[in-house]
Amino acid sequence: MSTLHRTRPMAAVLRHVLLTVGAAIMLTPFVYMVSTSFKSQAYVLAIPPQFVPDPATVDNYVQVLTTQSFAAYFRNSVVVSTTATVISVLLSSMMAYAFARFRFPGREVLFRLVLLGLMVPAMMLIIPQFILAKQLALIDSLQGLIVFYVAASISLNTFLLRGFFASIPAELEDAMQVDGANAWTRYWRLVLPLSTPALATTTIFTFLATWDEFAWALTIINDPGKRTLPLAIQLFQGQNATQWGLVFAASVVAVLPVILVFLIFQRYFVQGLTSGAVKG
Amino acid sequence: MKRSLTALTVTAVVAAAALTLTGCSGSTPTEDAAGATAGTDPVALTMWGTYGNGGNTAQTDVLNDTLIPSFEASHPGITVEYVDIPYDSLKQKLTTGAAAGELPDLARVDIGWVPQFASLGVLASLDETMDDFTTLADATYPGSLATNAWDGHYYGLPLDTNTRVLVTSQAALDAAGMSASPATFDELETMAANLEGTGIALFADSGLQGWNVLPWIWSGGGEITDEGLTTSSGYLDSAASVAAVQMLVDLYQADAIPNLITGNSGATSTSDGLPSTQYATILDGPWMRDIWTGQYPDFTPIYAPVPAGDGGSVSVVGGEDIVIPASSSNQDAAAEFVRFTQSDEFQLAMAQVGQMPVVESAGSAAAQADPFYEPFATQLATAKPRLAIPQSSEVDTILSTELTPAFDGSTTVQVALTRAAEQIDALLASS
Amino acid sequence: MLDRTQSVAVRATESVSVARTVRRPRRAIHVTPYLFLAPALVLFCGLIVYPMMRAFQMSLYDWKVLAGATSTFIGLDNYSRAMADPTFWRGLANSGFYMALSVPPQIVIGLLIAMLLKAKSPAQPVYRVLFYLPVVTSWVVVSLLFKYLFADNGLINYVSGDLLHLGDGSTSWLSSRWTALIAICALGVWKGIGWSMMIFLAALQGVPKSLEEAAVMDGANRWQRFRVVTLPAIRPALAFVVVMLVIGGFNVFTSVLLMTAGGPGGQTEVLLTYMYRQAFTNLDFGYGSAIAVLLTVVVFVLSLVQMRLFKSGGEDER
Repeated sequence: MSTLHRTRPMAAVLRHVLLTVGAAIMLTPFVYMVSTSFKSQAYVLAIPPQFVPDPATVDNYVQVLTTQSFAAYFRNSVVVSTTATVISVLLSSMMAYAFARFRFPGREVLFRLVLLGLMVPAMMLIIPQFILAKQLALIDSLQGLIVFYVAASISLNTFLLRGFFASIPAELEDAMQVDGANAWTRYWRLVLPLSTPALATTTIFTFLATWDEFAWALTIINDPGKRTLPLAIQLFQGQNATQWGLVFAASVVAVLPVILVFLIFQRYFVQGLTSGAVKG
Repeated sequence: MKRSLTALTVTAVVAAAALTLTGCSGSTPTEDAAGATAGTDPVALTMWGTYGNGGNTAQTDVLNDTLIPSFEASHPGITVEYVDIPYDSLKQKLTTGAAAGELPDLARVDIGWVPQFASLGVLASLDETMDDFTTLADATYPGSLATNAWDGHYYGLPLDTNTRVLVTSQAALDAAGMSASPATFDELETMAANLEGTGIALFADSGLQGWNVLPWIWSGGGEITDEGLTTSSGYLDSAASVAAVQMLVDLYQADAIPNLITGNSGATSTSDGLPSTQYATILDGPWMRDIWTGQYPDFTPIYAPVPAGDGGSVSVVGGEDIVIPASSSNQDAAAEFVRFTQSDEFQLAMAQVGQMPVVESAGSAAAQADPFYEPFATQLATAKPRLAIPQSSEVDTILSTELTPAFDGSTTVQVALTRAAEQIDALLASS
Repeated sequence: MLDRTQSVAVRATESVSVARTVRRPRRAIHVTPYLFLAPALVLFCGLIVYPMMRAFQMSLYDWKVLAGATSTFIGLDNYSRAMADPTFWRGLANSGFYMALSVPPQIVIGLLIAMLLKAKSPAQPVYRVLFYLPVVTSWVVVSLLFKYLFADNGLINYVSGDLLHLGDGSTSWLSSRWTALIAICALGVWKGIGWSMMIFLAALQGVPKSLEEAAVMDGANRWQRFRVVTLPAIRPALAFVVVMLVIGGFNVFTSVLLMTAGGPGGQTEVLLTYMYRQAFTNLDFGYGSAIAVLLTVVVFVLSLVQMRLFKSGGEDER
């Protein structure tokens, strides 16, 4: 640990108390979701809320994992989210690099156009996009999901990454340029490696956004074999009766890959700009 | 770091390549249209609906395992694929589908949507395309059939129906010292007086839309419009309509009706409040049986007609219609399936899994087979549909927006209903 | 290669206040930036900008949903209708209220937690996951949960009334406009903290420790170090979070739909629930689009103003 934290034991204790209390508040609803997923329908919405399921049952999980084609939906979601995330992070980081490191005619206008993509409500684009997808023969296919998910995530990712790229000292790039490195080399060898925390964040956000997306998937997917998880979970909510135990169990299963992606990528947070140098 | 970035590129390139390849192979145009005109080729029908009912597969199972195979056996050359759509999203899916010309051959839709989609030209008019339409239509309940009418034509046939009846519990009757459910407005008000001080609310409902308030207005002898759907003024704000709503408002202000009715989504829901004797009576439909059996196995609901006022006991019709989108290139085959849905075979099989028949003969047969349906079948004999106009959802907004201030006392019932009637007049004039 | 860049990095960050732009020789218009932009831009323009223009076009029509149907051009009628529509204004006010009440806590608490969590220790990854859990939990599930927390006999009333005696514990939170919006804001804050925490965490990794340690040597206290060292270094991230949260605040939708459905009597309707109702319930796409366009314009102008504010205070400008 650095000198900043070593000298203050009281502060460390306070820090942990704060974090623990905060974490408990953040955790409670999640615990309730998990707990509810182990309840039978009769006990799901009991008042006052039950935190420890009594009696507990795994029926919801059995039903979720055996009825419908849950495994297929899960696989579809993995394919769509992974592919869309990889492509989106790559394309967005290239775009962000251009915005952060170059002056060129049209830069401001283009950047504002990209920003505009963040602001227009997705629901309003859905009909024009659907007509477009039909013309591109992307209806009822996972490709149609992936391509539009990538397009939809470009604005946010570019905006986020541009900020990070801009805060990387330009002197580093100047040095590389003097050594004869071209723009692609500087982007690939210098800017990306120095931006791992930001890239990890982008990856986590994009994966979650595509994993949870419902409206577009509902619109273009007709074939039950091509459904993604959010569609399957929504089907557990009925007209007059919702089997909340099933919804919660399916949600718990669905959230696991997102947590996994988070765990994998959050370790890049400590590999930032200065970590190696200061430790020694 | 370098290695993982390289891995990233490789993955991306592979993924992109895979995308392009599968994209190309997946983009073959469908052959449906050609198949239909040739006549001899098999016709594949697609149907959208919401039989899935929240993971309860009883209805989809009957449809997929019994009814569709039976239809396919008697109609060689036609196959039917049923696709379940999440209930809350069906209308959105139909709307986007209509915009892009991507609709199925058949759809099971809420009765309130038919005039709306029909007015937009989305649906085929069945009375023009099916020569036996009148025979089929005459066999169904008039209240259900009326929901398919728009501008002089019928754009669908009833598929299943339901209505709301008064539901109470023995515990609530005991607390009010009554031997039977309140049968009239007067008995209801007596019950309210008897329940005062017990902490039990007389009646609860979860909104002020047509579905909620029309049974009271109709039973009180009021109306929402004239028969020809030309004006609401003089009907919705008539003395009878005002008196019926005034009764609810008085009960609300005497705390006999909880603020769930004015939109407090934090109040106990009717389905929980009745079994826990927080509410003495509610209006509800046949679907509640399964819900209560699951959640409150010890609770025995008592079903009775909507309390009668000067207009008798009149409830509101719910349910679904079956429609054929005009864009379907398999109109004849789709019409065959529509005919099949009106058969006793279809209606009675669905009755066993909770869908009330719309064909009167099947309705009485189902009520005899399962006495549970009896009160609903009786109520349906007089039940009325909500306004069969394209803007029916706007009517609901108007009613609840205008009536809320009347309930909290910031305006009178007369003023609220007059304002609502004026706005509904405008909708009727434009449609 | 990594070691070399890092030592370069440390050298460079010691002079962090020096202008940061790559100074390249003036040349004719460079093709390189466009090559970097092209792939994303093509996708973005084709699949987002073009539909955006189509949506705008819809707002000028009495738009008929059906493919191939003829719609009537009505110019700005949908816009003047919105200007005269009290529900539109109430929706705008409610969205604005939600934004104003839910954004500051997400920024302050998110940054605070990120500061507490930036150090490397075995417990940190666990805490990070815990604080991030609300972000990954589905909106449907958490909205249902918060509806129960704020129900008449829910946990909030139980704790505030029976345990803390702050009131009589019988507040009908979801029965009136402002209390219902507060409940919806509470959900927004709870669910959003983890998101801003993530961005701040990533940004804090880039704060040069050498600078912070130098500040300690100079006798700066915690607040001074935060203000002089940390804040300037995370400025771009802060700008990003503020702009994004303001946009997100105006676009609140799912939680409102599921917690109050705009009720009672339309009192908690926000712009997007109203737009959704016009478009997908009433099938009035022209009017729905007009509402969406107005929302976009409001948010766009606000964002540009914010970015200008962040720029004018910043030193890393080009």
